[in-house]
Amino acid sequence: MKSTYVLWAATAASILVLSVDADAHYVRAPLNGKVTATKYYSSGAFHGAVDIAGGTCGSTGVNTAMEGTLWWSVTIRTTYKVCYGNGDWHHNEVKHTFSSGWAFRQYHFNKSGYSYSRSCDRCTIGTLGGTGLATGPHAHLQYDKYGTKNTTWWWVSKGQYVYTTQRIGYTP
Amino acid sequence: MKSAPGIASLALAMLALSAAASGGGSAVSVRRVDCSLPALVARARSGSGSAAYRHYLAAQLRELAATWPEQELIDLFDAESDPELVELLGAALAGASDRELDASGLHAVANRAEEDPDPALRAAAVRALRRTTALENTQDLYTCLVQDPSPEVRQEAATNLVEDNRLIYSGHDGPAADAAVAAAVATDDPEIAAQIVAGISTEAVSAPSASGLVGLLGSGEPRLRAAAAGALGGVPASERDAARAALLELFDRDTDLEVREAIVEAVVRLDFAGARPLLARLRVADPRLAGEIDAWTAALALGLQEWSLIVREKQRLTAKQ
Repeated sequence: MKSTYVLWAATAASILVLSVDADAHYVRAPLNGKVTATKYYSSGAFHGAVDIAGGTCGSTGVNTAMEGTLWWSVTIRTTYKVCYGNGDWHHNEVKHTFSSGWAFRQYHFNKSGYSYSRSCDRCTIGTLGGTGLATGPHAHLQYDKYGTKNTTWWWVSKGQYVYTTQRIGYTP
Repeated sequence: MKSAPGIASLALAMLALSAAASGGGSAVSVRRVDCSLPALVARARSGSGSAAYRHYLAAQLRELAATWPEQELIDLFDAESDPELVELLGAALAGASDRELDASGLHAVANRAEEDPDPALRAAAVRALRRTTALENTQDLYTCLVQDPSPEVRQEAATNLVEDNRLIYSGHDGPAADAAVAAAVATDDPEIAAQIVAGISTEAVSAPSASGLVGLLGSGEPRLRAAAAGALGGVPASERDAARAALLELFDRDTDLEVREAIVEAVVRLDFAGARPLLARLRVADPRLAGEIDAWTAALALGLQEWSLIVREKQRLTAKQ
């Protein structure tokens, strides 16, 4: 009898975890590292995204963060290795734009042989970098539409260490 | 690079509220469950559990496949003859390919989808390819699948094309839409062709695909003509003039109401407010369309700039009529 309850509890847990809309996605850490900023920078200025720093600039791989196979569009604005920023709008970017108009973007990686547009599920898209407006190497994860950043999709906090195997958020 | 199967053999601790079983209290018991790939396959094979639990098993298998030796998975998949297990293992193999570990798993599933003598197993393999990179990595697979002698296989292939276009590419990818249109043109099954062209976004199709859609306007099936007309309403601006001309030509010779309503919607979508003079002409040509065209004209008068908003207003106005 007890094992029946165990089975039902496990099943209920799986329903809670997996009952997502067809267009909804969990987000995992794109690399192992520490969350360095979320809604606000340390200065108090609005950030509206998740920054994760860890590994070695130019060699640690950065993955697309969303679970599930999606088309990822890569824009390379800086072709050489940059770790500590090279100015606004020089960031390398990978994004998926949903039919709803919401887009999930990742910034700052350095270009590698894997930096090209394609469909994949959590694939390597480049190496850790600091291209664009950055004070150090990190991955920036942003979910936005018409310039408005969604700040409700993550559940991690500044200072928390996260792993690529770990779910850090959910976009409905 | 794949790690040893031992990684996948890590037991999963499941929490269960055991208050009822232990006769009260709020103690929480933890039981270790074998979540290795063979154990999960055995559980799937037993056929037990709810639909949600089997969905959970599929997700677990897909994650585990990324750390399991691919050849072992391919051998398991090739030996399987239960359609449900073929779908589960095939999805796991294709999922591992999408993680870019090795594309051979995806090709093993694609081969089975084309070549298995049992139509039920071919259909299961096609389902396994849903929401994977099969469209990009298997050349003209879907053009072949929509010509399969089994209606079930053709139906699953059409569903894949529509879902992949909508959920992987979010309707924005030209080559994916082109592959779907090519499949719709290739199949002799008008119902399947209609499902495909009605279900995809044509915002990024190429000129040859737009011509393919024009060709489908000549189908003997009204539903396919209507679907093709609707799809032509969404083609890129570079194809707009040719699409409008083909639609108006069809309007002159096709008296089917469903087709004509689809043509009206398509010309509105092509030109937005610029379509109003044309709508007035079509209203005179077919009085049956008066209510429909009046609703479109009223919706366009609101000056909305997004197609989804115009459609919503038109639907609201139609409901009020």
